[in-house]
Amino acid sequence: MKLSLKWLADYVVLPGSVDELAQRLTMAGLEIEGVSRPGDGLRGVVVAQILASDKHPNADKLSVTKIDDGSGTPIQVVCGAKNYKVGDKVPLATVGTELPGGMKIGKAQMRGVDSEGMLCSAKELGLPEGEHGLLILDPSLKVGAPIAGALGLDDVIFEVNVTPNRSDALSHLGIAREVATLLGAALKRPDPKLTESATEASTKVQIRIEDPERCWRYVGRVVEGVIVKPSPKWMQERLKACGVRAINNLVDVTNYVMLEYGQPLHAFDLDRIGGAQIVVRTAKAGEKLKTLDDKDRPLHAEDLLICDEKSPLVLAGVMGGASSEVTDKTTRVLLECATFQPTTVRRSAKRHGLHTESSHRFERGTDVSVAPEVIDRAAALIAEVGGGTVLKGRVDAYPVKKEPRKVTLRIARVAELLGVEISADECAKVLTALGFKSLGQSSWEVPLARVDVSIEEDLIEEIARIRGFESIPAALPRGLSALAPERPWVTAERRLRAALSGAGFDEVVNYSFVAPAELAAFQAEQGAILVANPLSVEQSVMRTMLFASLVPNVARSARHQAQGVRFYELARSYRPHEGGGVKGKPVASEVLELSGALWGLRDGARSWTGASAVVDFYDARAAVDAVLESLHISGAKYEPLESPWYHPRAAATVKLGERVLGTVGELHPRAQKRLDAPGGVFLFQLDAMALLAEAKLVPQAVTLSRFPSVLRDLAIVVPNELPAEKVRLVILEVGQPLVDEVTVFDVYAGPQVGEGKKNLAFALRYRSPGRTLTDAEVADAHQKIVAEVGRRLGGALRS
Amino acid sequence: MNERLAALAAAANTELEKAVSPESVEALRVKYLGKKGELAAILGGMGKLAPDERRALGEKANAVKAELETKISGAILRVQELALEVELKGPRLDVTLPGRGRGSGHRHPVSQTLEDICAVFARLGFVVEQGPEIELDWYNFEALNVPADHPARDMQDTFYVEGFALESPVVLRTHTSPVQIRTMLSQKPPVRAVMPGRVYRKDSDQTHTPMFHQVEGLLVDTKVTFAELKGTLDAFAKAFFGAKSKTRFRPSFFPFTEPSAEVDVSCVFCSGNGCRVCKQTGWLEVLGSGMVHPNVFRHAGYDPSQVTGFAFGMGVERLAMLRYGIDDLRTMFENDYRFVAQF
Repeated sequence: MKLSLKWLADYVVLPGSVDELAQRLTMAGLEIEGVSRPGDGLRGVVVAQILASDKHPNADKLSVTKIDDGSGTPIQVVCGAKNYKVGDKVPLATVGTELPGGMKIGKAQMRGVDSEGMLCSAKELGLPEGEHGLLILDPSLKVGAPIAGALGLDDVIFEVNVTPNRSDALSHLGIAREVATLLGAALKRPDPKLTESATEASTKVQIRIEDPERCWRYVGRVVEGVIVKPSPKWMQERLKACGVRAINNLVDVTNYVMLEYGQPLHAFDLDRIGGAQIVVRTAKAGEKLKTLDDKDRPLHAEDLLICDEKSPLVLAGVMGGASSEVTDKTTRVLLECATFQPTTVRRSAKRHGLHTESSHRFERGTDVSVAPEVIDRAAALIAEVGGGTVLKGRVDAYPVKKEPRKVTLRIARVAELLGVEISADECAKVLTALGFKSLGQSSWEVPLARVDVSIEEDLIEEIARIRGFESIPAALPRGLSALAPERPWVTAERRLRAALSGAGFDEVVNYSFVAPAELAAFQAEQGAILVANPLSVEQSVMRTMLFASLVPNVARSARHQAQGVRFYELARSYRPHEGGGVKGKPVASEVLELSGALWGLRDGARSWTGASAVVDFYDARAAVDAVLESLHISGAKYEPLESPWYHPRAAATVKLGERVLGTVGELHPRAQKRLDAPGGVFLFQLDAMALLAEAKLVPQAVTLSRFPSVLRDLAIVVPNELPAEKVRLVILEVGQPLVDEVTVFDVYAGPQVGEGKKNLAFALRYRSPGRTLTDAEVADAHQKIVAEVGRRLGGALRS
Repeated sequence: MNERLAALAAAANTELEKAVSPESVEALRVKYLGKKGELAAILGGMGKLAPDERRALGEKANAVKAELETKISGAILRVQELALEVELKGPRLDVTLPGRGRGSGHRHPVSQTLEDICAVFARLGFVVEQGPEIELDWYNFEALNVPADHPARDMQDTFYVEGFALESPVVLRTHTSPVQIRTMLSQKPPVRAVMPGRVYRKDSDQTHTPMFHQVEGLLVDTKVTFAELKGTLDAFAKAFFGAKSKTRFRPSFFPFTEPSAEVDVSCVFCSGNGCRVCKQTGWLEVLGSGMVHPNVFRHAGYDPSQVTGFAFGMGVERLAMLRYGIDDLRTMFENDYRFVAQF
């Protein structure tokens, strides 16, 4: 909310320092987000009077004027505008001034004629309104006076961030109450003085509230004989300072009083209302209302309306109707000051996509008790600025009187919650200044304006914030009752990230929602959870797999001239949960996934070492192995996999026993094409919770043999389809108990081994835990193993 | 024969001194001490001598042999040293060429910051807990004292999930606060927990992304005070931003806490003197906090007359941006390979 300090000063004596006031309010919970001084840019601009004007000798479009700038000596200024007459008062930017647009005014010669300053338009002064040409000023202004003061711009405007609970602070009076409390100063409220005619208002209009749950109170006043015209300068200036456009004196008064009290008002042209009966009711089926913004709005059964006997006039608390709004011809005015149920206004505003100054205040809650004072103030102002006669009395429909809440405050509880002792006297002083009334015995009556206060904690907050949170000491929490455990998933996440960092992977963090096409590329869009109100289609589906983000990450890098990337992401994938959506059951199945993508040069860039090889399946598998190793998971098996995600020739499931830990492979060429990714992207995907279930976070040591080992090689030619791992396991089994390690160190397929065959070479490590093996023993064992492996696998042995 | 021995020793000495390679030393060893070498040849003639002479000559020959062996060992060391000298003086490598391989990967600044925040609170005895991101409206709003139609709902623009009944809507959680409720519902007090994770708000501009990360904190026990909230968050600020950091607690409003406070930390760029980043205020808003509202305790099955507590929440991206000097929030989720490689 915009707060004018000049206006605020009507109600409370302000401290000398603007910064101090901003600081005090901020530290009491009314954050001052900005301070502006609209007159600041106008230093050096003064009110001047045009004494004479002659044609420029050398330019048709220019004039040479004699100007009284208040100095006593007339000056000469060249001017290009035509909209003035001699005697007009206009703004003069004196020599040395820098205008808001950045223009610097110096002594100048214009087409050979000296000019000592510049006469300004509204635009040149940075003012929003105004016609073309010079800004013609009020003739009553004093020549030589600074323009900022003359235009009422010598104000300071605070931008106040009023939190949604503090509807009482959405007005100058409300904030004045805070300032008075903080400074210990007196609060001066407006004292509306009304002269009423003998005619009773109730003879002209009656109020009937048909829905007292939605309309708590409706107060009206009638003013007759009004002349509609622009409101006076001081009122326009204040409205403008608060960002409200001046319209005419009637509308301006309603806005002015709203900014003063926080209570929205509405003005009807009484002659445009059908009959004398105002009815407050909800909409009937099929009803429509044309609102002030000229939109025909079909109404909802829960929309609250202000109506005459026949038709709706106003969408209550939100926006007035076009049919009964005041016009230039209005002379009889019905003023409305009502209190509506906040929820009703909020729902209507949302439903119709309207957010107005009025709905903003009503939906936060307004003070039902203040209506008589507010409407008197408004009526008095209308009489003041629009002439007219205020009819006698108010029409006031108030079906159920709202009683103020009573809240107990225990002094012991204050200390218990805040951690600092505050005396009962001090608490009482703060609450009283804020308008709370002591009922004795720790009981306090809450002013109806304070819709946010209903429990003891609320009172304690009031005391704490007015005293200042800085007066509460800081202390670390009292002792722990037990050491905080680290959840296993936290440990696992840390290790997984460390493992992939070690393997050269960069971590990425993507949005959880993706485009449907990004999932469809993997045939993974079926059953995905949809965002009902996405910002865009690109962010409309909760991803069922992280590849939908990682592959686009790679594609983007390739487009940006990366030569080789390794990305991983540790995040959740989302799927619906059977029967989800009720309390006590998970809504969705959220699975923590660890996925990675590799592409391009193995070293990340071309290298002088000549290692310019591109990554392949075995780099992806190495990453998976590194992850498993980090959690000390051993014995995982890689089995060929058919999947729409992967190239059928390079894809594997990673299993431990029967448990699937994840998959690894080359991106399927079709998915690659659909995602516009480069060729040669390799991927892996692991179920982090499955890994966690199998993890040995603390591995157990095996006593090492102190005796030397002996290495022997074994090569065998087998059919291409026979997996190396199968051969390796046979060798290991046959080699028991002397062979404790078998590793494959060469794979060769080519003319020397024949069509459809490959040569596999293994290194066997012979070792005994209890003694040194002799050469003869090893030779003998190796011979037997070679023979047995050959027998079992039927392969041609090469050594 | 004595003379022949003496001559042999003298000749061998001369030749050994001239030797410059391990190979030539070895050749001399073979020449003089080998099985068919010159010493063996001399000793081969000893059979003709009388026993006394033979003994004397034997002693003499052994002395010569021992002397030669010592000399040869010395010569080996000398020529090895010579060879090493040559090797050491060889051409140097270009040490300015880069090392082999791609080196270590990099952590994303958000996940690193998140981990570091949790680590600070772990030192203060907080357990790291988690909860669902796709959440019932009840946990995200109602249980946190934000009923339907409350204006506070405007503070967070919500994403809804398709396919759920209007009366029990499902949302993408707008904050990590529902994990407070879930944690309290599953544990008896005392509770000390931090709850990190992804959150979602329907907002996208220069300073907002539709997804971001928060860390929520909750401490519940008997007689927990606002003073302890201040002490805890001040300790966090000093651990995270540096020991000289100051904190400032400003009254604010969150439906789930009462009293509520925004926490500002002294600007990390200007040490509180005022700069562009802190908009000349000297302070940066980094946290929301407060004493847990009694209604929240009731929803979570705790008795507000028995326990009090405090809660806080912070945006991880903001802290990461301040910490690493990242000036555009959106780069966090573009995942440009050059971005992550900086951290």
